[in-house]
This record gives sequence, C-alpha cells and structure tokens, in this order.
Amino acid sequence: MRQAGTYSGILSGGISGKTGPHLLPLARIKKIMKKSGEDVKMISGESPIVFSKACELFIKELTQRSWMVTMQGKRRTLNKEDVASAVMATDLFDFLVNLVSESGEATTPLEMDTSNYS
Amino acid sequence: MEDETSHENVTQGHNKGSPDSPCAKTGGTGNNKEQDRFLPIANVGRIMKKVIPSNGKISKDSKETVQECVSEFISFVTGEASDKCQREKRKTINGDDIIWAITTLGFEEYVGPLKLYLSKYREIEGEKLNIPKQQRSEQKQQHQLQQQSKHEQNIPNFNSSVYSSTSLLSRHSSFVPSDQPFSLPFSPNNIQKQLQQQQDQIDSVGYW
Repeated sequence: MRQAGTYSGILSGGISGKTGPHLLPLARIKKIMKKSGEDVKMISGESPIVFSKACELFIKELTQRSWMVTMQGKRRTLNKEDVASAVMATDLFDFLVNLVSESGEATTPLEMDTSNYS
Repeated sequence: MEDETSHENVTQGHNKGSPDSPCAKTGGTGNNKEQDRFLPIANVGRIMKKVIPSNGKISKDSKETVQECVSEFISFVTGEASDKCQREKRKTINGDDIIWAITTLGFEEYVGPLKLYLSKYREIEGEKLNIPKQQRSEQKQQHQLQQQSKHEQNIPNFNSSVYSSTSLLSRHSSFVPSDQPFSLPFSPNNIQKQLQQQQDQIDSVGYW
C-alpha cells in the first residue's frame, strides 16, 4: 500500500498551504467509487485525489446554497430541510432529489444507474 | 460508531479497521459497513463550516445529509467516468476521466481548480519517480532561481518543500521527464544522467 509520507507534501499542506491538505480520506473515496458500479474495476492513483478536491468543492457549494435558505428563514442553524431546499432549487443537484426527499425514512438502496440522470 | 476519528489530514492509512472512537453518529445503524458508504462526518462538517459565518451552526442531521449527498456525487461521477472508459475500451479510470465526467454532468465550474490540483499532483509524482531525496535537496538551490524567473503562474512553489524544482522537467511531460528533450537555460543533460542512475526509490501510488 501507499506510504503516507509519500504525499506528506500535499496531505499536510506542506506545499505552502495554498493547495490545502487533502481533507478527505482517499481510501474511503476509493471504496465509494468501487461501490458505484460493477464496471468499476481499476482506478488510477490520481482519481481519489481529484475526487478529494471535487468533493470539497461540492460540499462547499451545497453548504453555501443551504445556508442561503437558512438565512432566508432568519435562522443561524443550518438544518436538513435547508439542504433539501437547496437541492430542490438547484438543477445541478437533480441527482440528489430522491436522496433528500427520503428524510426521516430508513436509507433505501439508491439508484446508481447514472443513465437516468442525463 | 464511526470507524475514524476526525483528523485534519486523514490519509488512507488511518481508516483501516475500527478504532475505539467514542463518536456517536447515526442513532440507528452504527456498524462500520454502513459508514464505509460515506465520507467521515467530521471531515464533511469541517468543510461545511468553512463557508458559513463563524456564528453559524450546523445541525447534525444536515451534516449527515450532506454526507449522503457527497457519496451520491461520487457514485454519480464515477458512473459516468466508468462508462466513458468502457466506451473507449480502457480499464482504468484516471483523473482526466473524472474531470470529463464532472464537466459533462454540469459541474464545469469545478474543472479549473481540479485541473490545477491534478497538474500539481502529477508534477510531484513525476519528480518522485526520478529524483531520490538527496538529489532533490541539492538541486533545489540550483534551480530555485530559474524556477522563479520561469514561472509566472500562480501555482504554489513546490521547491519550498521536500521536492525539488525539477518540476521544470516534469512539466513538459506527464510522468517521465527523462524522455523529453529540454530547452532550458541550465544543462538538463547532467540532471538527466543523475536521475536515471538512481531510480530506486519509486514509491508512487501507481494503480490502485
């Protein structure tokens, strides 16, 4: 397996901190990638790295939009309904609509077939 | 129960097994297999905090929801990238495929920062393949001057870290700078010879 020290420059923000460290665990990302489909077999080493950044951007965008909903409600605590509202209001997040509308229910198997999303 | 405590730079080496972290996550399913589907809630929460005012608060259930959304995002993008690889009869999903899928699915705004991030990663990878640590520190001082004059880009200067400034070399290619002809002010030939002689420290990720 990899040695953590190999990427200490990136991971610990040693690169003058401008890129920022990897905020998300790469092995976990890889696991989630593999679960997305039977066809996913080989993943290059850089894919989780790219995803680490992409997920960070995604989380930030989703949170920002959710926070706008929170503020509209004159509240200071971002809650789940705010996230759901942000998802509903954003075309880009259409693939999440089923996910957030399941609030309160047990997590049911989600559709991983991305052909439905296009 | 999470199988991972919160750390700023948790790497792949740290989330194996289930340490005795007393973190309470979802009240219902608490087994590790369930949590493997998501990124750690602490990491997710930390990123969320960055974009809200300091006096703002985030409920736990919203963090959980975002957690699920991120996993769905990963699956979504991976599926597209995987389809592309299948169409092109390739077996391995690489970073470019991910970026392509992200663009195709509408997240074009992410592409700029991602490409930058990826190119930096590849730079470091290319250096690691060819330069042992001793050489790096020696060459670092030599090339720092050329480095600063050469690059007007706002890519962070890796020379300040362990890795040397032979990013100049690797910039012209993906991973193997020794094969490329160079038109650089200093003499790359000497460096290349040194590089090729000591390739014993290849500890790159390679393919997972």
